Amino acid sequence: MNIDIECFGVAARLSGARRHQLSLPAPATVRDALDALAAQFPELVQALPNCACAVGDDIVPRDHRLVDGDALALLPPVSGG
Amino acid sequence: MRITEAPLQLDPLLAATANPASGALVIFAGAVRNHHEGRAVCALHYTAHVGLAEKLIAAIERETLAKFDIHCCRVVHRIGRLDIGEVAIYAVVRAAHRSAAFTAADYVVHAVKHRAPIWKEEFYADGTSRFVDGCCLAGADTAVPHRTPEETCATSS
Repeated sequence: MNIDIECFGVAARLSGARRHQLSLPAPATVRDALDALAAQFPELVQALPNCACAVGDDIVPRDHRLVDGDALALLPPVSGG
Repeated sequence: MRITEAPLQLDPLLAATANPASGALVIFAGAVRNHHEGRAVCALHYTAHVGLAEKLIAAIERETLAKFDIHCCRVVHRIGRLDIGEVAIYAVVRAAHRSAAFTAADYVVHAVKHRAPIWKEEFYADGTSRFVDGCCLAGADTAVPHRTPEETCATSS
């Protein structure tokens, strides 16, 4: 399955780009996607545990099952205001 | 709308929240200051997961309205590049009396700073930049110790 990744904040800087594409064997969870990202971008490894993830406009847990075409957002620690 | 790239306008917020039963109006404006942790700051750049931020800020407004004896609570946050002195966030609270309005305003600003998916990149006089350390959203694998608003940003809090 193909997953679109959108990196926010420092995650974009660490991975080198705002957006990435992952190809994962089905079935796959958010955790599987993060493991694949960590393998592809070692600079992200330390930051990933502190990132929440969202599919659409919903924050999802690590065991959330992804479907083909999902857009997964990496949300590092926030600093608004 | 809670997230906008346009310069923030206070008058529409005041008009939208006007209430003849409200004797108290508290307005918080978070403006970009020119220093943070001893470094000279030139500008900030805010980014957001807009869809999620709209949803979560609206939920925080409703939560604040339920928690305090107030008539209304509205927050607007700007994204994009902001220069020194520009306003990044407005929070408007109206209540019958000032005590609840002040407390609720502090609560809603704190909640948005710690729970909305918005990120701040600081640009310094020496030409470098960095993303400000922040608070983990619920759903992260580990919890970053919460830092006070004064520790996390170059906006006045």
